[in-house]
Amino acid sequence: MRKHTIKTPLALFSLLCSPALLANEQLTDNTPRLTALSHATLMLSPGEVVENATLLIENNKIKAIVKNNDVPEDAYIIDLSGHTVYPGFIDPFTDYAIEYEREVESTSGPVYEIKRIGGNASNGAIHSEMQWFNYVYPDKEQAKKWIDNGFTSVQSSYLDGIFRGQGVALSLADKKANDIIYKAQTNQFMAFNKGSSIQDYPQSLMGSMALIRQTFSDAKWYNENKNKKSISSNIVEFNIAFERLADAKKQTFIFETKNLNNQLRAAKLLNEHEYNGSLIGNGSEYTRLNELKSYPFSLILPLNYPAAPDITDGDSEREVSLSSLRHWERAPSNLAMVADAEIPFALTQHGIDADKFWPRLKLAVTRGLSQEAALAALTTDAAEISGVEHIAGKLKSGYMADLVITDGNIFKDGKIVSMWLQGKEQQVVNRDRSLLDTPYQIQIGELNFDLAIEQSPKLSGTLSSGEQDISLANLDYQSGRLTFSANLSEAGIEGVSRFTLWLDKQGVRGRLLNANNQTLPFGGIKLEPIATSDAANDKALENVNLISKQTSPNVAYGLSAQPKLDKVHIKNATIWTSDKSGVLANSDLIISKGKIEEIGQDLKTPSGYSAIDATGKHVTAGIIDEHSHIALNGGTNEGTDAITSEVRIGDVINPDDIAIYRSLAGGVTTAQLLHGSANPIGGQAQTIQLKWGDTAEQMKFEGAPASIKFALGENVKQSNWGDDYTRRFPQSRIGVKSLFSEAFNEALAYRKAQVNYKKMRSSERRRTVAPQYNYRLEAIAEVLEQTRDVHIHSYVQSEILMFLRLAEAYNFKAGTFTHILEGYKVADEMAKHGAYASTFSDWWAYKFEVYDAIPQNTCLMQDKGVLTSINSDDYEMQRRLNQEAAKSMMYCGMSAEDAWKMITINPAIQLGIADKVGSLVEGKQADIVLWDNQPLSVYAKVDSTWISGRRYFDREQDKIAQIEVAKERAALIQKVLLSDDAHKQGETPIDLTEPEWHCDTHFNAWQQSATGAL
Amino acid sequence: MSINISLKRTAFKPITISKAIALLGLPLCFMANGHDMLPAKVQTQPILFTNATVHTVTNGVMQDSDVLIADGKVIAVAQDIDAASADITSTTPQKTDYSELLDNAQVVDASGKHLYPGLIALDTTMGLVEVEMMRPSNDAYEVGFINPQLEAISAFNPDSEIIPTVRVNGITHAQVVPQGDGLAGQSALVAMDSWTIEDALVASNKQFHLYWPHVRWLSKDADKRKEQLADLDRRVELVFNAFADGQRYLLAKQAGKINKIDLRWQALAPLYEGNGQLFIHAQSQQQIEQAIALAKQYSFNIVIVGGYDAWRVADALAEVNAKVIYNQTLALPKRKDEPIDLAFKIPALLKQAQVPFAIGFSSDWNSRNLPFAAGQSVAYGLTKQEALQSITLDAAKVLDIDDMGAIAPGFKANIILATGDILDPMQAGIESIYIDGRKIDLNNRHQQLYQKYLKR
Repeated sequence: MRKHTIKTPLALFSLLCSPALLANEQLTDNTPRLTALSHATLMLSPGEVVENATLLIENNKIKAIVKNNDVPEDAYIIDLSGHTVYPGFIDPFTDYAIEYEREVESTSGPVYEIKRIGGNASNGAIHSEMQWFNYVYPDKEQAKKWIDNGFTSVQSSYLDGIFRGQGVALSLADKKANDIIYKAQTNQFMAFNKGSSIQDYPQSLMGSMALIRQTFSDAKWYNENKNKKSISSNIVEFNIAFERLADAKKQTFIFETKNLNNQLRAAKLLNEHEYNGSLIGNGSEYTRLNELKSYPFSLILPLNYPAAPDITDGDSEREVSLSSLRHWERAPSNLAMVADAEIPFALTQHGIDADKFWPRLKLAVTRGLSQEAALAALTTDAAEISGVEHIAGKLKSGYMADLVITDGNIFKDGKIVSMWLQGKEQQVVNRDRSLLDTPYQIQIGELNFDLAIEQSPKLSGTLSSGEQDISLANLDYQSGRLTFSANLSEAGIEGVSRFTLWLDKQGVRGRLLNANNQTLPFGGIKLEPIATSDAANDKALENVNLISKQTSPNVAYGLSAQPKLDKVHIKNATIWTSDKSGVLANSDLIISKGKIEEIGQDLKTPSGYSAIDATGKHVTAGIIDEHSHIALNGGTNEGTDAITSEVRIGDVINPDDIAIYRSLAGGVTTAQLLHGSANPIGGQAQTIQLKWGDTAEQMKFEGAPASIKFALGENVKQSNWGDDYTRRFPQSRIGVKSLFSEAFNEALAYRKAQVNYKKMRSSERRRTVAPQYNYRLEAIAEVLEQTRDVHIHSYVQSEILMFLRLAEAYNFKAGTFTHILEGYKVADEMAKHGAYASTFSDWWAYKFEVYDAIPQNTCLMQDKGVLTSINSDDYEMQRRLNQEAAKSMMYCGMSAEDAWKMITINPAIQLGIADKVGSLVEGKQADIVLWDNQPLSVYAKVDSTWISGRRYFDREQDKIAQIEVAKERAALIQKVLLSDDAHKQGETPIDLTEPEWHCDTHFNAWQQSATGAL
Repeated sequence: MSINISLKRTAFKPITISKAIALLGLPLCFMANGHDMLPAKVQTQPILFTNATVHTVTNGVMQDSDVLIADGKVIAVAQDIDAASADITSTTPQKTDYSELLDNAQVVDASGKHLYPGLIALDTTMGLVEVEMMRPSNDAYEVGFINPQLEAISAFNPDSEIIPTVRVNGITHAQVVPQGDGLAGQSALVAMDSWTIEDALVASNKQFHLYWPHVRWLSKDADKRKEQLADLDRRVELVFNAFADGQRYLLAKQAGKINKIDLRWQALAPLYEGNGQLFIHAQSQQQIEQAIALAKQYSFNIVIVGGYDAWRVADALAEVNAKVIYNQTLALPKRKDEPIDLAFKIPALLKQAQVPFAIGFSSDWNSRNLPFAAGQSVAYGLTKQEALQSITLDAAKVLDIDDMGAIAPGFKANIILATGDILDPMQAGIESIYIDGRKIDLNNRHQQLYQKYLKR
């Protein structure tokens, strides 16, 4: 499965020839290696500079810093006057010099299990056993892209899979592997992306997170139990993947993600286990700095500035989001903002072309990144992350002689002149080339010329005399010798003359071969370099006038601040209490401190409260949606295995989703985000409040009971998945029942084993292998213990009855049947069991199992005593749940009050949050909606929506926001149009391209492809 | 026929007998109650609705008025129709004697009730699809890029269980539209109550459908994106080439030089001759502008179906006299930054830009929500009358039909009798529906199952 390939012909050659055969001079090199780099500016460490000092190098290490240039006699001196020496830079996130290629089996159809080889993990994306120092083989060509930018060492790993293995810190020097390894075992590398693994699991982001959680737990368990010896207990299987993670507490992690939300998820996951490490950044850290700062992780930031969005015409422009326009403008400021937030970070070249690294870093400096912070990121912080802070990252005695020599301030106009790797110089620009940087004045006979040479993009130059500028042709330069030809006829020298010049620090001497082939010698002097005008810098500074706003979330309609806690008196409204008191005409409602303070008639406005005259308007509790898939990232289904109860929707909440704001505008305040219906036992659900602008964690409904998605019917038996999916058990409703029984039995046995183990005496426990904690069975056990509510996707009567009876057999309450389109057929049985129903108002006929769905379902169930709600399971319908509820009035004559309860108190009861929300009762959370019309009417619009007393939506504010969004877009588009090409170039933004989620969306989070209709 | 049935039986073997029968279009077998859902008989007796609130569409809302229908047509609409009264809505001042009709008429007391013209659902797959995800029951889509010869009506199932569930909300007629990529074929208008396809068919001009090429999901990968856009250009070119080929064929035909029939171009001929309309399914401005360019080149009569960006190109649409079927009222904004209620507001924006439009709800079973889509646009800028007009008279106009969509003399007697506002689900109380004066059965699969389980 894995093989070590030798890629380069050189490698082959070295295997065939012994070193002795290659040595063409002496067998040993005994040259003394004491070098003094004198008269230089030494950047000892960030913020610590000595001018006009000497750096003493012996062999591959720094011997001393000599401040008075008092150089030992035996030192070979290189005069570096006018030069600056930096510690070599370190890139902590690379795959440099890893000679390895993972072999990937070709497969067709789903892969549920992988080959087990050599004690590997059971999941194909876990390679924690790999130790990449084993595969280090230096590559001179590859190293160049770092060395040219001032890097002297890197941290490397093979970048594939979720657990990728342990990295290695190594020098970029052109030496054998043994010499370049600075630290053999550094961080464990990780990512959410399963990479080349052919196994279906995990297919979703939440699946990947669950796998990581389980693996951490398994590794800990493995460590604690592998050596236990008891005749009665099982032997722990050998597992090298767990073994290598056993010391996870001491281990540090480097976690790569592709966007900021995932970065925060990685942080949360590592933090849950109190692990340390660094997060690979994505360039938009500035949008959620506070959240990032709350975690103890350093960052490794790429310089991936996005390309200007395509705004060439109206049509393409409309597809461009304000957030991408904003990011185009702000991305270069990211580093400065991260630095200001005092989050430690290193820099990486990963993800961009190496030649863009310095221009972009300099742009970041013009945007306010301090040079000290930039240097720390390149040296000391990077060294610490890579575990080489004791030998690299500073100019200090005993440290590796890894140096960057520049001819000035590298963060401004200084250029790298040469690099020292382990005490060996590697010239980037020939040192004598710097002789071309200064202008010269030459005198030929009576004539004076100024000579100026440009080295890039290619060698060119001019001779100027008075007003005249004469371009030079056929330029060539080598080791101080410059040749060119020029037509100086207009200046008084006939024909084309050919010049040969010798440049040195003092000046220039040379000869000219004129049109008559006569040689004329001449001399010249060095001029002071023309002070480069600050025009370029000024221009950059102009750009700092940023016009984009920063909001939370940082998208159109984001908020500049969290709405304040309102103290409001709403007067003269029709109040739909969704409670015993029914609908109150002409009544008042007062909210404060996030709660409903008082409901009554003719109330007095307390002082300090604002009043809203709601004459002719209606006030209701916030709408609650039992079944939603909005505001998620990375897939709504894990769906690969038939049971995936370990995955958590709560892990993947997307606070940036505009759907949150749109649904608020429809009066929705709470939604349960459910796993999809691709398998019988799906993932854990998450109830959220639509607190637009808050963080993912803040949106989670505090105190809502744990819940889980189960599913029955066509989706779980893969009826509409295509011909590849016919192997997974179950493929029929008959099989579904059996699967549930099996899962329940397993969970019971699992719990029993845990209880038994706990009961043991401690001496016995020490000898007995502990039951392995299993997130999957844990969630099912909680269901059986009734600490986790079931929301079960179901359609036809057979399966409804089946599950009711199964739940009764296992002594738990079935919870809420969701969709339940044939609930009306078994409403008596449901009522008797105490099960709830949450259904569509009028959906049917889109697939076979809904052919008996009827829009009178709600009435029939309700009348038989089944507590019923209406859900949306849809982004758009969620905005109009009031109309969906009204349809029961039309189709089966439900009362308006009962219809309204179906989207407020009834779903609140089903979600176990009725003590806090769902009705307008004094003391309850102030989740309220102000409507301009009878709320069940198609003609009704939401004026304002409050959650916990904060007004998260307001129609008037929205109108203003619409104008502001349009203005800001227009301004940014003008800025793009006016900016030069350099500011337009960049990486194509890696925007998430995710679909609207539905129950049966099968999404491959790694290939970002989706199938599924509803 | 017998072959057909046996084939179907084989196909449905694994399911219960009652469901198989239901799918065969014989719901009577487990019908629990009352009506037999027979197509209504041709109107033989005049009907006089009295004292109704009449939503005439062509003449505003008339309070406390009478409507007389006979032989499938509206005869008179007036505050008080009796033998001596004149038809006050008629343009001819001449008095008409209705006494004979009134003597025979069945009188329906509509006091406190509303009369609406029947609703016309545009861009549906009514009768082509029974259960969308079951391929055997889905005949809406054909493969191929140039299929102007396909006639959707040829696969229309008048016994679809879906039809009675849709008409119960006031939809008396539906446009049955083929789906496809490129030129997908021809649609037809059907009445939602018939024995056969031929009974159902409402005569109209040829109605061709072109799905303007688009990229469903533009890739973020630069190379892939380039490929997609190149393919898009190629498909747009295919469209233009097809119409050029169609014209070549027509020229040859006119010159009497056709040796071999080409079904595609033969079918398309009426379009060039002005005897048909081209329905171009397009949402974005770029698509619509391209469509307009095509229409200009051949002086086609076009209707934009979708039309999300149509209000942005009102002038260009006016130049080619294009009409629009807007089908996104109950949809999300198509772009992230657009106003959250833009989809709701677009009917008002179209009105403001003076673009002739109708509201559609492109679906099969879900097209029963058409009246509520129109209702939704009222909270966002249309008047109630304009909203009603957009699914009645204007829908008929889109189809080039001039005797449907209003309660006015000469119009077909497609009438809804309701206790409330049919655009608002909380008020709508449709009591009866007439198609061509025939009172149709409002029972349906849902009612039947409801009634059955009420008895459990």
